[in-house]
Amino acid sequence: MALLVLEGITKVYEAAGETIRAVGGVSLTVEKGEFISIVGHSGSGKTTLLSIIGGLVRPTSGTILCKGADIGTLDSDGLAQYRAERIGFMFQFASLLPVLTAKENLMLPLLFQRGDGSAKEDGGRKAEELLRRVGLSDKINAYPAQLSGGQQRRVAIARAFMNEPEIILADEPTGDLDEGTEEDMMQFFQAMNREQGVTFIMVTHNRDLARRASRQFSMTNGVHVEHARP
Amino acid sequence: MKNRFSLFSFALKNIRRKAVRSTMLAAAIMLLTASIVFAVSFITRVHSGIALMTSRLGADIMVVPTGSRGAAEEVLLENKVKSFYMDGSVVDRVRRIEGVEEVTSQTYLVTLTALCCSVPESIVVAFDQKSDFIVRPWLAEKLRRPLKKGEAIVGHESAFNINVGLVEIDSMLFGNVFRMVGVLDKTGTGLDNAIFISDENITDIMRSGTAGIKPGQVSIAFVKVRKGFDARTVANAVENNILEADAVMRKDIGKRIIQTLRDVSGIFTAAVVLAALLSGFLAWTVFSAVANERAREVGIMRAIGARESDVVRLFLWEVLLIAVAGSLLGIVGGTALSVVLVRSFVLLKDLAGDLGFAVRILIAIGGLGAGVAVCVIGALSPLRRIKKLEPLGAMKEA
Repeated sequence: MALLVLEGITKVYEAAGETIRAVGGVSLTVEKGEFISIVGHSGSGKTTLLSIIGGLVRPTSGTILCKGADIGTLDSDGLAQYRAERIGFMFQFASLLPVLTAKENLMLPLLFQRGDGSAKEDGGRKAEELLRRVGLSDKINAYPAQLSGGQQRRVAIARAFMNEPEIILADEPTGDLDEGTEEDMMQFFQAMNREQGVTFIMVTHNRDLARRASRQFSMTNGVHVEHARP
Repeated sequence: MKNRFSLFSFALKNIRRKAVRSTMLAAAIMLLTASIVFAVSFITRVHSGIALMTSRLGADIMVVPTGSRGAAEEVLLENKVKSFYMDGSVVDRVRRIEGVEEVTSQTYLVTLTALCCSVPESIVVAFDQKSDFIVRPWLAEKLRRPLKKGEAIVGHESAFNINVGLVEIDSMLFGNVFRMVGVLDKTGTGLDNAIFISDENITDIMRSGTAGIKPGQVSIAFVKVRKGFDARTVANAVENNILEADAVMRKDIGKRIIQTLRDVSGIFTAAVVLAALLSGFLAWTVFSAVANERAREVGIMRAIGARESDVVRLFLWEVLLIAVAGSLLGIVGGTALSVVLVRSFVLLKDLAGDLGFAVRILIAIGGLGAGVAVCVIGALSPLRRIKKLEPLGAMKEA
């Protein structure tokens, strides 16, 4: 069974009396362990598509099946559980909570996964290990304000793996990073994809990064086109 | 043991983030709780003081000279030094009324401070040992025999005034030497400040000419009503048959104070309601600001798997931590205030009895509940708004 099946997904917004078609009829099947990249200009609908897959936005029409289950039928809490258990998000903006240390920011998804408002005993060790893997073992107890933009981005990247998701939805995950760190992060993604079978759907402007994916798509005006496999 | 990361520790960090604002809200809740605890302690203490006194007296009806009802209550409830007299024949006439089971009389004599070598001004209670059912139970605990002529036993509070302790001493009362043979336990009545003697001493006292009492006079008659008779009916019969006497039922003793208390309660209630409204409004304002400032963070939390209930729980922890901290401080403040102000309020200072530990705990729990409830109710509307935030919209808005 495919991990994700998108059928005829559209998203239409009404803004200032104007109808905007952000996503227009996207159909896509994603198998477990695939690494998919989506490129496209700003406003082409990439982020909206990721948000729909992640259950942050409901599509205007179409269905999304995750392991055969229609996520369109889930209520608000059902979608939260879907995100807590299956999805890891990397946002294109700074998304750390300022009152929490790097380690606590990583442990945050665990609070919501257990449902009792406390993180697992081994959550701390796991958070430290992930911070080490993104090169921030010396910043475990640092607050976001004490980190550079690139370091904050790496903390957010590490956080996406905390709940051991099946799917990572990455929206320009390396946007703020210098070339060296960007390369390190890509290698980390590929390692996680290879070692743990984590499925990646990554939106990027960087065509070089996009080419390293197993499948590549481009989006224009809400419509996607799949490119031939490299 | 390592501190585990939880919604509770997360909430604590959020509170510390805006320490001044959180402190202001906690201070408002503290004032509210303090005013509730103080007001309830004050009112309860007056009520319990009156209830304690009436139960310790053990009489169903109190018969006093017409117009002396207030003075009698002041002696019995407020430790005031007053004297009032009626003819002793009233006692026999009361005894003959249908429904009366027992009657005993007491005569209140006021000592004079100016008199050389006498005890400080206080009430001396001369009681009829044969018919007595008021003092006898108190006496039985301490002396275990009737008082002899020339002997006195002092009330618990009076002992401090005339230095009676473990040793028996002689004191002058109305020019007569009395041997103080002991100290009664605290009774919780105004008579804790009195000195008790047998009424067979009255003749000698009158001879000294310092007591201002005529032969055969008594101050008060206490009545026990026969089983199956209604105290009100008996009291009405006393008043109808004996024009020079007023009858006060046990449950009406202290009515004057309770009436005054109603006005005080009204003022307290108005102040508490106002404080509750202000605290609730402050909670609403603070958490409305929180909802606006942290919309983006809530969006991020929702995106990484937080359910609506997780968001509510986080903010509820914050509300509860502030409310409980404020309420606990308010309980301490309100209780301390009620203890300290006992010395300033004439009504409380003179009224016997104190609130027990259990009552104080109950008042504290009530204060805590009220403080927390006002804070939660005030924060409810912003909490509902936070809960309903759409993740993506919240992240983009901020």
